[in-house]
Amino acid sequence: MAVSEASRTPGGVLYGLYLASLAVSLCGNLVIRLGERAGWLPAPARVVLAVLASVPLVLAAVFFWRMLRGTLDEMLQRIALEGLAFAFVLYVPVTAVYLNLRTAAVWLPRLDPADLLIAPALLVAIGLLVSHRRYS
Amino acid sequence: MKNILSVLRAERGWSQADLADRLGVSRQTVNAVERGKYDPSLPLAFKIARLFQLPIERIFFPDEGSGE
Repeated sequence: MAVSEASRTPGGVLYGLYLASLAVSLCGNLVIRLGERAGWLPAPARVVLAVLASVPLVLAAVFFWRMLRGTLDEMLQRIALEGLAFAFVLYVPVTAVYLNLRTAAVWLPRLDPADLLIAPALLVAIGLLVSHRRYS
Repeated sequence: MKNILSVLRAERGWSQADLADRLGVSRQTVNAVERGKYDPSLPLAFKIARLFQLPIERIFFPDEGSGE
Protein backbone atom coordinates (compact mmCIF):
# COMPACT_ATOMS: atom_id res chain seq x y z
CA MET A 1 0.00 0.00 0.00
CA ALA A 2 2.76 2.38 1.01
CA VAL A 3 4.71 1.52 -2.11
CA SER A 4 1.73 2.05 -4.42
CA GLU A 5 1.06 5.37 -2.74
CA ALA A 6 4.71 6.31 -3.12
CA SER A 7 4.52 5.48 -6.81
CA ARG A 8 1.81 8.12 -7.26
CA THR A 9 3.90 10.90 -5.73
CA PRO A 10 5.86 13.25 -8.00
CA GLY A 11 9.01 11.47 -6.85
CA GLY A 12 7.52 8.10 -7.83
CA VAL A 13 6.48 9.40 -11.24
CA LEU A 14 9.93 10.87 -11.70
CA TYR A 15 11.65 7.63 -10.77
CA GLY A 16 9.41 5.73 -13.21
CA LEU A 17 10.38 8.17 -15.93
CA TYR A 18 14.02 7.75 -15.01
CA LEU A 19 13.78 3.97 -15.22
CA ALA A 20 11.99 4.18 -18.59
CA SER A 21 14.74 6.47 -19.88
CA LEU A 22 17.36 4.07 -18.58
CA ALA A 23 15.60 1.19 -20.33
CA VAL A 24 15.62 3.14 -23.62
CA SER A 25 19.33 3.82 -23.18
CA LEU A 26 20.10 0.17 -22.44
CA CYS A 27 17.99 -0.99 -25.41
CA GLY A 28 19.96 1.40 -27.60
CA ASN A 29 23.16 -0.06 -26.20
CA LEU A 30 21.94 -3.58 -26.98
CA VAL A 31 20.95 -2.67 -30.55
CA ILE A 32 24.36 -1.05 -31.13
CA ARG A 33 26.16 -4.16 -29.90
CA LEU A 34 24.02 -6.50 -31.97
CA GLY A 35 24.37 -4.28 -35.02
CA GLU A 36 28.12 -4.09 -34.63
CA ARG A 37 28.54 -7.85 -34.22
CA ALA A 38 26.21 -8.77 -37.06
CA GLY A 39 27.58 -6.01 -39.25
CA TRP A 40 24.23 -4.52 -40.31
CA LEU A 41 24.72 -1.21 -38.46
CA PRO A 42 27.39 1.07 -39.95
CA ALA A 43 29.63 3.12 -37.65
CA PRO A 44 27.93 6.51 -38.27
CA ALA A 45 24.52 4.97 -37.51
CA ARG A 46 25.92 3.47 -34.31
CA VAL A 47 27.09 6.92 -33.20
CA VAL A 48 23.71 8.48 -33.99
CA LEU A 49 21.90 5.70 -32.14
CA ALA A 50 24.26 6.03 -29.17
CA VAL A 51 23.45 9.73 -28.87
CA LEU A 52 19.71 9.34 -29.49
CA ALA A 53 19.38 6.53 -26.94
CA SER A 54 20.86 8.80 -24.30
CA VAL A 55 18.55 11.76 -24.99
CA PRO A 56 15.69 10.50 -22.73
CA LEU A 57 18.11 10.29 -19.80
CA VAL A 58 19.22 13.87 -20.41
CA LEU A 59 15.57 14.97 -20.53
CA ALA A 60 14.87 13.00 -17.34
CA ALA A 61 17.81 14.75 -15.67
CA VAL A 62 16.44 18.18 -16.69
CA PHE A 63 12.93 17.18 -15.55
CA PHE A 64 14.36 15.91 -12.26
CA TRP A 65 16.18 19.16 -11.63
CA ARG A 66 13.11 21.26 -12.38
CA MET A 67 10.92 19.06 -10.19
CA LEU A 68 13.41 19.14 -7.34
CA ARG A 69 13.56 22.92 -7.45
CA GLY A 70 9.90 23.62 -8.10
CA THR A 71 7.26 20.91 -7.83
CA LEU A 72 8.37 18.89 -4.84
CA ASP A 73 7.54 20.25 -1.41
CA GLU A 74 10.17 20.41 1.32
CA MET A 75 9.68 16.89 2.65
CA LEU A 76 9.62 15.28 -0.79
CA GLN A 77 12.78 17.23 -1.64
CA ARG A 78 14.37 15.78 1.46
CA ILE A 79 13.27 12.26 0.52
CA ALA A 80 14.71 12.66 -2.99
CA LEU A 81 17.99 14.13 -1.74
CA GLU A 82 18.40 11.54 1.02
CA GLY A 83 17.70 8.79 -1.51
CA LEU A 84 20.39 10.16 -3.82
CA ALA A 85 22.83 10.62 -0.95
CA PHE A 86 22.18 7.04 0.20
CA ALA A 87 22.87 5.77 -3.32
CA PHE A 88 26.07 7.75 -3.73
CA VAL A 89 27.42 6.95 -0.28
CA LEU A 90 26.79 3.25 -0.87
CA TYR A 91 27.87 3.16 -4.53
CA VAL A 92 31.45 4.24 -3.85
CA PRO A 93 32.35 1.59 -1.24
CA VAL A 94 30.45 -1.16 -3.08
CA THR A 95 32.32 -0.34 -6.28
CA ALA A 96 35.62 -0.13 -4.42
CA VAL A 97 35.07 -3.54 -2.81
CA TYR A 98 34.15 -5.01 -6.20
CA LEU A 99 37.23 -3.58 -7.89
CA ASN A 100 39.55 -4.64 -5.07
CA LEU A 101 38.17 -8.18 -5.04
CA ARG A 102 38.59 -8.44 -8.80
CA THR A 103 42.14 -7.14 -8.46
CA ALA A 104 42.75 -9.80 -5.81
CA ALA A 105 41.65 -12.37 -8.40
CA VAL A 106 38.54 -13.38 -6.49
CA TRP A 107 35.95 -14.70 -8.93
CA LEU A 108 33.16 -12.18 -9.44
CA PRO A 109 30.76 -11.72 -12.33
CA ARG A 110 32.25 -9.40 -14.90
CA LEU A 111 30.34 -6.13 -15.04
CA ASP A 112 30.19 -4.26 -18.32
CA PRO A 113 29.31 -0.54 -18.63
CA ALA A 114 25.59 -1.33 -18.92
CA ASP A 115 25.67 -3.09 -15.54
CA LEU A 116 27.53 -0.16 -14.04
CA LEU A 117 24.73 2.09 -15.33
CA ILE A 118 22.04 -0.02 -13.68
CA ALA A 119 23.78 -0.27 -10.29
CA PRO A 120 23.25 3.40 -9.31
CA ALA A 121 19.63 3.21 -10.49
CA LEU A 122 19.01 0.27 -8.18
CA LEU A 123 20.77 2.00 -5.31
CA VAL A 124 18.71 5.16 -5.87
CA ALA A 125 15.53 3.04 -5.80
CA ILE A 126 16.62 1.45 -2.50
CA GLY A 127 17.60 4.87 -1.14
CA LEU A 128 14.22 6.39 -2.07
CA LEU A 129 12.36 3.50 -0.46
CA VAL A 130 14.43 3.72 2.73
CA SER A 131 13.99 7.48 2.88
CA HIS A 132 10.25 7.26 2.09
CA ARG A 133 9.70 4.70 4.84
CA ARG A 134 11.48 6.94 7.30
CA TYR A 135 8.92 9.71 6.84
CA SER A 136 5.76 7.62 6.48
CA MET B 1 8.83 17.66 17.90
CA LYS B 2 5.26 16.90 18.83
CA ASN B 3 2.27 18.84 17.59
CA ILE B 4 -1.50 19.13 17.78
CA LEU B 5 -1.96 19.48 14.05
CA SER B 6 -4.30 16.50 13.74
CA VAL B 7 -6.50 17.90 16.54
CA LEU B 8 -6.68 21.32 14.93
CA ARG B 9 -7.44 19.76 11.58
CA ALA B 10 -10.15 17.50 13.02
CA GLU B 11 -11.78 20.47 14.79
CA ARG B 12 -12.25 22.09 11.42
CA GLY B 13 -13.41 18.90 9.74
CA TRP B 14 -10.58 18.98 7.22
CA SER B 15 -8.99 15.93 5.69
CA GLN B 16 -5.22 15.70 5.36
CA ALA B 17 -5.64 16.47 1.67
CA ASP B 18 -7.66 19.63 2.53
CA LEU B 19 -4.94 20.83 4.87
CA ALA B 20 -2.25 19.95 2.33
CA ASP B 21 -4.04 22.05 -0.30
CA ARG B 22 -4.30 24.99 2.08
CA LEU B 23 -0.60 24.76 2.94
CA GLY B 24 0.60 24.06 -0.58
CA VAL B 25 2.32 20.80 0.33
CA SER B 26 1.65 17.13 -0.38
CA ARG B 27 -0.70 14.99 1.72
CA GLN B 28 2.28 12.80 2.58
CA THR B 29 3.99 15.80 4.15
CA VAL B 30 0.94 16.65 6.28
CA ASN B 31 0.75 13.01 7.38
CA ALA B 32 4.45 12.94 8.30
CA VAL B 33 4.23 16.21 10.24
CA GLU B 34 1.14 15.07 12.15
CA ARG B 35 2.84 11.81 13.11
CA GLY B 36 5.98 13.62 14.22
CA LYS B 37 8.05 11.88 11.55
CA TYR B 38 9.02 15.13 9.89
CA ASP B 39 9.70 18.50 11.49
CA PRO B 40 8.55 21.27 9.15
CA SER B 41 10.80 24.13 8.16
CA LEU B 42 10.25 27.50 9.86
CA PRO B 43 8.41 28.96 6.83
CA LEU B 44 6.02 25.99 6.79
CA ALA B 45 5.57 26.16 10.58
CA PHE B 46 4.70 29.86 10.30
CA LYS B 47 2.27 29.05 7.49
CA ILE B 48 0.58 26.45 9.69
CA ALA B 49 0.43 28.88 12.61
CA ARG B 50 -1.08 31.57 10.39
CA LEU B 51 -3.65 29.16 8.98
CA PHE B 52 -4.84 28.13 12.44
CA GLN B 53 -4.35 31.64 13.86
CA LEU B 54 -2.28 30.34 16.76
CA PRO B 55 1.29 30.99 17.90
CA ILE B 56 3.77 28.36 16.69
CA GLU B 57 4.54 27.25 20.25
CA ARG B 58 0.87 26.39 20.81
CA ILE B 59 0.98 24.00 17.86
CA PHE B 60 4.51 22.59 18.08
CA PHE B 61 6.32 21.69 21.25
CA PRO B 62 9.46 19.69 22.10
CA ASP B 63 9.23 15.95 22.52
CA GLU B 64 10.54 15.66 26.09
CA GLY B 65 11.72 12.08 25.59
CA SER B 66 13.88 12.83 22.55
CA GLY B 67 15.93 15.59 24.18
CA GLU B 68 14.94 18.11 21.48
